[in-house]
Amino acid sequence: MSSNNVVVLDNGAGLIKAGIGGNLDPTAILPNCLARPLSSKKFLHLSDLNATAAFDLTSAAVRRPLDRGYLINPDLQREIWSNLFSNVLKINPSHSSLLLVEPLFNLPSLQRAADELVFEEFGFESLFVADSPSLVHLYEASRSRPSNGVSEQASLVVDCGFSFTHAAPVFQNFTVNYAVKRLDLGGKALTNYLKELVSYRAVNVMDETFIMDDVKEKLCFVSLDVARDLQVARKPGRDNYFRCTYVLPDGVTHTKGFVKDPDEANRCLTSKDGAPKDDMEYPEVTEKAEDRKRVDLTKNEFSLTNERFLVPEMIFRPADLGMNQAGLAECIVRAVNSCHVYLHPVLYESIILTGGSSLFPRFAERLERELRPLVPDDYQVKITTQEDPILGVWRGGSLLASSPDFETMCVTKAEYEELGSARCRRRFFH
Amino acid sequence: MDEDTTTSNMLRRMSSRTRKVATKMVAALASSDNRTQAALARLEALENDNPGAEMIEINSDDDASLDDEDQVYTKKQSKSTKRKTRQAKALENAKKAPRTFLELLHEANLESLPPHLPSYLRAAVGPPSSTTRRHFCTVCGFTAKYTCVRCGMRFCAIRCQNIHNDTRCLKFVA
Ligand SMILES: [Zn+2]
Ligand SMILES: [Zn+2]
Repeated sequence: MSSNNVVVLDNGAGLIKAGIGGNLDPTAILPNCLARPLSSKKFLHLSDLNATAAFDLTSAAVRRPLDRGYLINPDLQREIWSNLFSNVLKINPSHSSLLLVEPLFNLPSLQRAADELVFEEFGFESLFVADSPSLVHLYEASRSRPSNGVSEQASLVVDCGFSFTHAAPVFQNFTVNYAVKRLDLGGKALTNYLKELVSYRAVNVMDETFIMDDVKEKLCFVSLDVARDLQVARKPGRDNYFRCTYVLPDGVTHTKGFVKDPDEANRCLTSKDGAPKDDMEYPEVTEKAEDRKRVDLTKNEFSLTNERFLVPEMIFRPADLGMNQAGLAECIVRAVNSCHVYLHPVLYESIILTGGSSLFPRFAERLERELRPLVPDDYQVKITTQEDPILGVWRGGSLLASSPDFETMCVTKAEYEELGSARCRRRFFH
Repeated sequence: MDEDTTTSNMLRRMSSRTRKVATKMVAALASSDNRTQAALARLEALENDNPGAEMIEINSDDDASLDDEDQVYTKKQSKSTKRKTRQAKALENAKKAPRTFLELLHEANLESLPPHLPSYLRAAVGPPSSTTRRHFCTVCGFTAKYTCVRCGMRFCAIRCQNIHNDTRCLKFVA
């Protein structure tokens, strides 16, 4: 049964995506952390995304096994995996192979620790270590059709994740690692930046990791014209179509935060370029008005205007934050320029956008607008967005795990025991 | 959840939002180059798991967290082992607290690799080609032309400057 039981594990710093190779989607998507709600003395497992609804995670502390994208705390990761394998996936590692997705440029000491975890602690039968850009390329190339411009030969995978953002050229299914460029900004920093802005301007939310992730995911978007949008965000009343209100949980009537008036919040997203049409009507719903009254009494809410686009803006201009790093468009150009000139046009017309932080509305459009002037006129720029940017890596892994020669690519437990981590690792990279 | 627990949770929630001070900011502002330090501390804080947890409560008698404010983990450890001696605590923390990625990176000594080998360090995108930095007002978010001489925060106009001086300047510090 070994050959048909491959556990595919995209062990993200933010989310774990895990399931069985060959399936279309992972069995489980869960936060890669333990959380301690205010009502608990212990750190608890969050066995799936819905479990976050089971607890009141207001002001919950979190412990993550990954720091800046890398697995630095194997003890904590073991606890989380152990729960994942036995209670969520319900698999027996000693009868399974593991396809583990590892960040690019992992340190040898961390690779060794990961191998120990896989073979010595869990006793997997065999292991294959993959990097995310090659899996994303594999998945998109396999779906290649006229409407999807992804070249089977090469693509440029832009992975905007939790800890960082990579622009990685992939050529014939291998990540061209000498050309990869990394920007040290991802979803975690953006959430923390949003916390900082709201805490400074309205109410202290520095402890509210889960709530502010929700605010970011529901309300932030990428501006196509920052100067114009800043002017609009200054206007009073309804003319400021960015203004919206988020209600914090009060721990009594609701344990989750929510957007007070979603219609109001979505006004700025209804038109093509970010300015809503004048003739739109916004009917007031009585039920909502009552909600609002009840909520106002708690004073436990804050409104957002320009924060909604100033937060994702940092991916495009890290310098505004005081970081000495180029923005995403330049990051892509530098990655392409590090490849053979023959590949440049192929890469520019086969850019694949993936990762949870690429989900902000208008992300791809803004990127294209910034990229176009930096690319030679006779090259096309084509950005492909994934059907589900959070699952793209996992789906590529699932595809690879179900290919006929997958087992031969793996390192077995016996080989690991005989050769050790470092020599086994050489097999995974070229 | 009974009513008492609910109330106490609400109180904790409220107090944790108001009675805090950022130790790093205090340290930064006490140093000679306040503004640079504060800016660095701020960037560093963007990668923290529990940015709030590095703040200490003003009336807190638990000074263990000051020993190692980088380790959010340490503070939690110290809370759960309150009755132990400082020494025992320190020992336990040294054993349990995992090293950060930056420490491990330093240990890996990637600088000594031959320059043609791809590595974490070589993959960094590098500085932007244009050094122009846009500044946003810390009060309202609008484009900010002015800098507060005391704390380095930005503001856009006299109106925001007044709000800044009255209620925001050194807010996370005083
Ligand atoms: Zn202002
Ligand atoms: Zn000031």
